[in-house]
Amino acid sequence: MTRAMRRPIAAATGALLLAATTAACGGGGDGGDSEGDGTLDVWIMQGTNPDADGFFADVSTAFEEETGATLNVEFVEWGDAHDRFVTSIAGGTTPDVAETGTTWTPEFADAGALASLDEHVEGAGIGDDLVEGLVEAGTYDEQLYGMPWYAGVRSLVYNTEMFEKAGVEPPTTWEELEEAAAGLKEEYPDKIAVAVPGDAEFTVYPWVWGAGGEVATLEGDTWTSGLDSPESQEGLEFWTGLATEGGYSSTGATTWRETDVLDAFAAGDVGMAVMGSWTPGAIVDANADMEGKFAAVPIPGQDGGIAPSVLGGSHLSMFETAEDKDLAFTFIEMMTTGEFAQQWSEQSGYFPGQVSLLDETLESTDPLVAPFARQFVEGGASVPAAPTYGNVQAKLTTSTMMQSILSGDATVAEASKAAAEEMTSVLNGSE
Amino acid sequence: MTQQLTETRLRKTLPRLSRARAATVRPWLLLAPALAVLAVLLLWPLVRVFLFSLQDYGLREITTGELSWIGLENYAEILASPELWTVVLPNTVGFAVLSVVGTVAFGTGVAVLLASLGTFWRTVTSSAIMAAWAMPAVTGTYVWVWIFDADRGVFNDVLMGLGLLDDPTNWFTDRWSFYAIVLLNVIHHGFPFVAVTVLAGLLGVPKEMLEAAEMDGAGAFRRFFSIIVPQLRQVFAVVIILSTIWDFKVFAQVYLMPGGAGSNRSVLNLGVWSYVESFGQNRYGFGSAIAVLLTLLLLAITAVYVRAVLAEEER
Amino acid sequence: MSGNRPLRRTARRSPLRQLGKGVLVALLLVFTLFPVYWMLNSSLDAQAGNTSSFWPAEPTLDHYVFVLTEGGFGTFLRNSLLVALGTVVVSSVLALLASVAVARFRFKMRTQILMMVLIVQMVPLEALVIPLFVQVRDLQLLNTLIGLVVVYVALALPFGIWMLRGFVAAVPVELEEAAYLDGASWGRMFWSVLLPLVAPGLVATSIFSFITAWNEFIFAMTMLGGATESYTVAIGLHSFFGIHSNDWGAIMAASTIITVPVMIFFILVQRRLASGLTAGAVKA
Repeated sequence: MTRAMRRPIAAATGALLLAATTAACGGGGDGGDSEGDGTLDVWIMQGTNPDADGFFADVSTAFEEETGATLNVEFVEWGDAHDRFVTSIAGGTTPDVAETGTTWTPEFADAGALASLDEHVEGAGIGDDLVEGLVEAGTYDEQLYGMPWYAGVRSLVYNTEMFEKAGVEPPTTWEELEEAAAGLKEEYPDKIAVAVPGDAEFTVYPWVWGAGGEVATLEGDTWTSGLDSPESQEGLEFWTGLATEGGYSSTGATTWRETDVLDAFAAGDVGMAVMGSWTPGAIVDANADMEGKFAAVPIPGQDGGIAPSVLGGSHLSMFETAEDKDLAFTFIEMMTTGEFAQQWSEQSGYFPGQVSLLDETLESTDPLVAPFARQFVEGGASVPAAPTYGNVQAKLTTSTMMQSILSGDATVAEASKAAAEEMTSVLNGSE
Repeated sequence: MTQQLTETRLRKTLPRLSRARAATVRPWLLLAPALAVLAVLLLWPLVRVFLFSLQDYGLREITTGELSWIGLENYAEILASPELWTVVLPNTVGFAVLSVVGTVAFGTGVAVLLASLGTFWRTVTSSAIMAAWAMPAVTGTYVWVWIFDADRGVFNDVLMGLGLLDDPTNWFTDRWSFYAIVLLNVIHHGFPFVAVTVLAGLLGVPKEMLEAAEMDGAGAFRRFFSIIVPQLRQVFAVVIILSTIWDFKVFAQVYLMPGGAGSNRSVLNLGVWSYVESFGQNRYGFGSAIAVLLTLLLLAITAVYVRAVLAEEER
Repeated sequence: MSGNRPLRRTARRSPLRQLGKGVLVALLLVFTLFPVYWMLNSSLDAQAGNTSSFWPAEPTLDHYVFVLTEGGFGTFLRNSLLVALGTVVVSSVLALLASVAVARFRFKMRTQILMMVLIVQMVPLEALVIPLFVQVRDLQLLNTLIGLVVVYVALALPFGIWMLRGFVAAVPVELEEAAYLDGASWGRMFWSVLLPLVAPGLVATSIFSFITAWNEFIFAMTMLGGATESYTVAIGLHSFFGIHSNDWGAIMAASTIITVPVMIFFILVQRRLASGLTAGAVKA
């Protein structure tokens, strides 16, 4: 027992560590040295395209045929993607290519993590066909770091069945919107007439802009948030008032994110909500009964017209850790031009990042495409184009404001003032 | 016969001499691996977090290793922040006090109850307690979030069914109800350790002492405080220290709750604040400074405990 | 208030008192078991989230199938098991050696070392996240399970040393002396006399190391950020919740899968755990 005991323990330790090592090596993600065996590590955001698996299977085949290298796609969830990028940048374990949200590209470029794409784009001769707004968002220090891939916009999506039963029409002004909400509430007291989520910043800004306010403006080198201007406050007052005064939302929505809105809408519990141009597919995917039971209209302006809505989207960015940058760009080009770009756009419901492809989409008459397309063209707006905007998002400034208003902890005036102060300070890089 | 005697005497004295020499080296040999691990993975990082806290340490600095010293600026910013005094510190300290008191008091109560039960029920109950203990913090947190979910949680459903509530309430937005749920979660996860430890101690208290006291007409409360508590001094010391350690370090239980990751500022505590400033804002220097303050706070409390425990031990 | 003796005796056995005790036990069982029950209930109910039924309205195992296949929890379980076992083995060996040193020898700095062991336990994990992240990165161990084992050993070690110290001290010195007189070497005495007597303590500390590694969240979140294949259960559940935040049936199924192995293990060793804890706490 005496000697015998020592060895098994030592042996077991060794075996375990060995097992752990092999397991760990199996679990790659180590972008830096993976080129040796001819693989390209790519991160793609989860949930954009319901059939992402099938799509990337096709891309992998095509990519391997063309380059001989294998493609290793990892899906990353939006919610913790920012932290995940940041830790991998800090740890030097970034992938070769990744989908980066348009607001993050300047931030990561600023950290020195991204490789400039200018030479590659020039070499491929595709520079003139890129959608302007996405190029702007992907440019930092006069260099392009984010290749425009796709863009989306949020509009007002509504449940046609509920609208018909309640006898209300899709709104074109704020007053009509409130009337519609009241009508829905009367017919469906247990459902949510209009979802006012507390943790979804992009559903908030249309109301700020719609009332003539600004999220933030740049003067010289200094950003100033306009969330607390009288116009912005009026917009916020209206939007949050639907929940706090009208009772048209639900108390649970105070902590909802956009995915929660989507789930509730797909379950048929919501009359109308601000939702993205990419959500129709996901709604039907979650609940096949919803097929044909919902439609969209552009977000109404205060007294008619269209309220601006955030043009959100994604770039494909190349990381400095990519050893074979030509291989990486081959993949980027394959994804953002031609057949695969078009296919992605069709499957995901997003607008492509190429002018030639976008024009086609905009001509669509599909009732679940046309209203979004109108919003995209006539009512598209951008969040402040500062490399620090990602920090504002990570700080959840707007969500904090919304939650404190919706839960009754603060008035619109108090909460918007605090949010504007914080946004101004973070945008100007108090760090 | 005589030879044998001297030999034993020799064997007794000789090893003692060499043992004395060995005794100075051997403990250090035995300690070496553990000390090396602690030094490299706990002490050196502690020094480093302090060094980071004196720098403007962002993502760029982490990747490139550049240094930019800014002295005590991070600390000045923290201490000048009204958030610290009105929200973060009260949340951290207040919650820790409540949860330590709650965990220890509840756990002790359960131990007393268990001690008075017959074998069958004691086995049943302690198995149930084990089940609560085994629930990982992350899992437990999601289960409580689900129970208290505003729209579909069972808690609101039952209250509304009983007519105690007209409309669903979102319990996660209010600072007090938010922390009440965290408290429930932490006590649920933490009391089993206290109960099991105190119970084992209770069963070790001589029955005669209790019976004698009862004969003297001492009530249940008096028996508890005048006999059991002194007997279990050391047990309570351990239980309180460990609960404090565990309860001050509550992170996942807050971070994973709706609004707990930073959007609901009124529920921030030092740990979550440090994390979101570091990994969300890329202000690792500032986050480090918050972490240093949290560490100092804990060390001050431990110092008091440690003195008490060591004083007892050295007797 | 205190009545005379005969009265108290009858009071103790009175039905009222028994009833009171019964109510307390019932309340305690509800509090401890309800979350566990609710987790199981929702995980087995296809209607979870639509109705709050106290038993599965539409019993199904689909949630489990979903979680284990598409959710990837098979891999997460394997990862956690490797990490936890690695942590247990390494930290137990190191803690045992160190505890013998502090319990059996009087040497300079002994008190200081004990004090340090106690104090480092107080260090909040959040304070260590940033420097340890940098350190593990420099060792090239980010996104690996070994990196986590290294960190968890450090986290589990102080408690292990502190707990085992009590057990070692409780072993009568006479037994060791006897072994010496028999001509046993110190190493031999360690393995044949000390180790068997300290075994219950090792069980208790092993459980603690296991739980530490199984439950740990913040380091797993930062150090495994880049590689889903190496996620442990805690971080796997977090990520799963991010994607399926409203699929409560599946979230509860995943939670059950993570909890049940530990739970069974706990209930099996509970007696040993209790004796282990007290012996460690009430140091002889």
